[in-house]
Amino acid sequence: MEPKEIDWNELTAVIAKHEKEKWALIPLLQEVQETFGYVPPESIEPIAQALKMFPSQVQGVITFYAGFSLKPKGKYVLRVCRGTACHVKGSRNILRLMQNELGLEKGETSADYKFTLETVACLGACFVAPAMMVNRTYFGKLAPSKVSSLLAQYGKDKEEE
Amino acid sequence: MESITLSIDGKNITCSAGTSILNAAQELEIKIPTLCHHPDLKPVGACRLCLVEDEETGRIMASCVTPVAPKMSILTDTDRIKTHRRNIIRLMMAEHPESCVVCSKGNRCRLRQFAAQLGIGETNLYPMPNYKTLEQANPFIIRDLSKCILCGKCIRADHELVVVGAIDYNLRGFKSRPTTVHDRGLEQSNCTFCGTCLSMCPTGALSQNNKSYISTPALEALSVCGFCGVGCNLAMGYTANRIVEVNPSNQQDTVNGATLCVRGHFAHDFLNSGERLTQPLIRQDTADANNKIVPALDANNTMVPASWDEAIEVVADRLLKIKSENGPQSVAFLGSSKCTNEENYLFQKIARVLFNTNNVDNGGYVSGRPVMNLLDKRTDGLWRLSPLAWLEKAEAVFVLGADPGHSTPVVSYYLKRACKKGIPLVVADSRRTDLTDFSSAWLDLSTGNDLEPDYVALINGLAALLHEKKGHDDAYIKQFTEGFEQYSSGLASLKLKQVSRVTGIDANDLNATAELLQGKKIAFVIGSGILLQSCGMQAMEAVINLALMTGSLGFEGAGIHVLAKDNNQMGAQDMGAVPDALPGWQLLSNDSNRRRWEQLWQTEISAANGLNMVGMIEEAEKGNLKGLYIMGENPLCSLPQPDRVKKALQKLDFIVVQDILNTATVQIADVVLPGAAFAEKGGSFTNMEGRIQSFGPVVTPPGDARPDWEILGLLASKLGDAKHYVSLGHVRDEIRRLVPMYEDLDRHTHTAWITVDGRREGDKAVKTKTIISFSPVVSCKGEIKDELSDKDYAFTAIFGFVRYHFGGGTRTGYSNRKLKPDFKGEIELSPQDGKKLNINDQDTVKVSSRHGEIKRQIRLSRRLSPGQMFIPLAFNDNDAMNLIAMTQLGEPDSPGWKTCRVKVEKIEHQDT
Repeated sequence: MEPKEIDWNELTAVIAKHEKEKWALIPLLQEVQETFGYVPPESIEPIAQALKMFPSQVQGVITFYAGFSLKPKGKYVLRVCRGTACHVKGSRNILRLMQNELGLEKGETSADYKFTLETVACLGACFVAPAMMVNRTYFGKLAPSKVSSLLAQYGKDKEEE
Repeated sequence: MESITLSIDGKNITCSAGTSILNAAQELEIKIPTLCHHPDLKPVGACRLCLVEDEETGRIMASCVTPVAPKMSILTDTDRIKTHRRNIIRLMMAEHPESCVVCSKGNRCRLRQFAAQLGIGETNLYPMPNYKTLEQANPFIIRDLSKCILCGKCIRADHELVVVGAIDYNLRGFKSRPTTVHDRGLEQSNCTFCGTCLSMCPTGALSQNNKSYISTPALEALSVCGFCGVGCNLAMGYTANRIVEVNPSNQQDTVNGATLCVRGHFAHDFLNSGERLTQPLIRQDTADANNKIVPALDANNTMVPASWDEAIEVVADRLLKIKSENGPQSVAFLGSSKCTNEENYLFQKIARVLFNTNNVDNGGYVSGRPVMNLLDKRTDGLWRLSPLAWLEKAEAVFVLGADPGHSTPVVSYYLKRACKKGIPLVVADSRRTDLTDFSSAWLDLSTGNDLEPDYVALINGLAALLHEKKGHDDAYIKQFTEGFEQYSSGLASLKLKQVSRVTGIDANDLNATAELLQGKKIAFVIGSGILLQSCGMQAMEAVINLALMTGSLGFEGAGIHVLAKDNNQMGAQDMGAVPDALPGWQLLSNDSNRRRWEQLWQTEISAANGLNMVGMIEEAEKGNLKGLYIMGENPLCSLPQPDRVKKALQKLDFIVVQDILNTATVQIADVVLPGAAFAEKGGSFTNMEGRIQSFGPVVTPPGDARPDWEILGLLASKLGDAKHYVSLGHVRDEIRRLVPMYEDLDRHTHTAWITVDGRREGDKAVKTKTIISFSPVVSCKGEIKDELSDKDYAFTAIFGFVRYHFGGGTRTGYSNRKLKPDFKGEIELSPQDGKKLNINDQDTVKVSSRHGEIKRQIRLSRRLSPGQMFIPLAFNDNDAMNLIAMTQLGEPDSPGWKTCRVKVEKIEHQDT
């Protein structure tokens, strides 16, 4: 699977939707991120032009927030919690296991754009530590076997498609 | 405004609400250390070094961003504060590479200075250097972001002062750095290399890319930039009589403030060029045949070094001989728009008093002096006093045919800052410029009826619309003008449809623009698009009319700003180095003016105008002109049709060239007199605002070279002038005494302003009793047909500057760093035409007009419309001038020097 090709018409439509708003930049970037899975670097200039900002400023905002990415991400973004509670409950081993199973370091995306492995400081789900998220779904009380089956489940999804 | 009293370090001060504690302390002359603060930038409180303590509450706060409050009792230097400051510096140092020994910031590094002041040697912290790749691919700025302390001065200067936006903070925390879009090198960004960031950077994160000298210059002296007409104030750093670094000066209220442009910052390498002239030279046969007129020069005779006495004697003898044999009209003097006021005054005085000729001009002709002079004539000089700072106070700005981002960059900073403040900016141009991206309205003149932009129709059309909308200033018209009825009836006869057709601008857009300008006083910015255009005179008349109608002349925040290309273009003409006026812009045609000067100088002055620069060439061609004295000009490079100019000059019996560099014109001279560049002499320049800036020498001239005023002084006494100009003061005294416009020259401070009709700088409104008349509405069609309707030459070539090079490219061509950027003066072509002609980026083409041809590479640019071509001037010895016809600028039959008709052919690779 390749990262989604940028549909310029779609981008133009998103820009046009927000162009006239006040404080439009962040909502606009959020929608671009939502639409494309990331903020394509090629979109920086058109966005800046529409909002009468410098492209460097737009890029500054994108890189400031962890929520925006200039790189395409996988279909499934796996966020492993590295908060204190999860750490105590062995999240380091969970992360290591995932790194081994996926062959990815944290922050990396698999070549087939299936998985992106990330860590977060805390998911706020300490009561089910160790926890992780796959896109918007939480998974708690993780154990190696559970992680393996999760990965297998999401990995299988590929063949079905 | 409410005022607040507080105490700082035990001293009481009352200041207005909103003042920061830091500024209040500065008023009390209490020094608080800062790294991120700069008076021209908005405070951000990034470095925290300016912490102070409130004795009352015990609160610690950053003084640069905390406003004063009543009852505050501030302490700026307690032990507690010092501990905090020390920790801040220690943390910065822990992150800083230990490279002070090789750092070119040397002792000017603020971090190092504060570490020294606070007594920090070892930080005793675990070093965590934040290594980044050293960026030095561009020839101007080295970025070593390992040394960045995140003060944000570069970013703020970029956004707030020069308004380019090449960099901004990226990422967060420890990783945060100023970054270009897509994190590329500066040379691949939209950075203009103005170097403002470089001068502000407190550490070695940004340093100049100067491989010939890496350290702190030994000394620094102030000067005024010798490139464009803005007249930026410089601080020139020098070591062992060599200028090694240039920064904006930190004087108050300068035209440039903390900014400069790429030329002002980096193009002064020419001062140290090996091609500098260092001794007087006399052509061999001239020296032999001292009393005989020598026929046309040939390449074999050589130049031999001579003493000053010998050289001056030859010059005096030969010129006087030509005058006595052929009359005063056979000698001409070409002065320099780059030389000082004092020099131009002496120069024209020598011509007028010792040779009785009005054949005096200066290089300002090339930048459109004839059209600019129309403004003087029509408004009685009223337009002259126009501080650029007014642009930021304008109600509306109208930029016509100007690309200040390249020609006079500091003006573009003013304009872009004005835009950011919300001042409406209307740009009329036939191609996209830096400013069109910022403008409220861009009137694109590229698609008009002709390929030549029709400014006259556009301005008149807008005036008609404004008149229709009752957008004229009745009170002003009544008080200061005459002839409005005739003018308005002329406007009434204009048809919007017709205007829209010839200009190519949609009627709705014209209407919208008129609405934007309606009821406002307008600040006009006029560039070479008007000054050098075929219908320049008519366009200028139309501008004057529109300015009068909207009441825009003579008030703060309005007026006509003409972009003077050369540093002393205004001064040279004010000093009378022009064929039609005496010093102080007193026209020769006015008898009382002339008589006054005849008395003052004890001489007879002819009422007839002398030859201008083009006239000199034409008369030399005809054989009527026999002798020419050129000071600081390179007509072989700066005039159109260089071959023709060369042939004409070679016909002369005698040419003296006084210059600093070994130029093409020097090559054909009979006597060469080595002059001094601005940094090597004292003098004064008058900038485009009317600011007269005096300066002294920074270094001494190379070798035997002498300041130009000294050379002229020598010559004048040789020629028998009773006055001996042994010091600059003598010349200045005479100017102050005889030229009322310059009565303040170097009188109280080094910056003075011209006085126009009793009006001085700081006067917010017109004082004059002069009535200015409207001129009739005219169109400029149907006069220059031949040139325009040429089917063989299907493209319109537009000539203009790119910021790296300047003028004829003589000086910047000798500046090493200027030659390095990848940009080699590629001709720009629209992608549509590129496709049609199968021409791609980097292809070499031959561009030919009816007058000549040039070969260059192509760069496709979306900034141009089909049928247009942009040819940068000043590259390859200014070869672009081969394409242009040398005609008298401003004459009705002149096609102008701004555009010409050309054809383009691709040259296959093997041919190149």
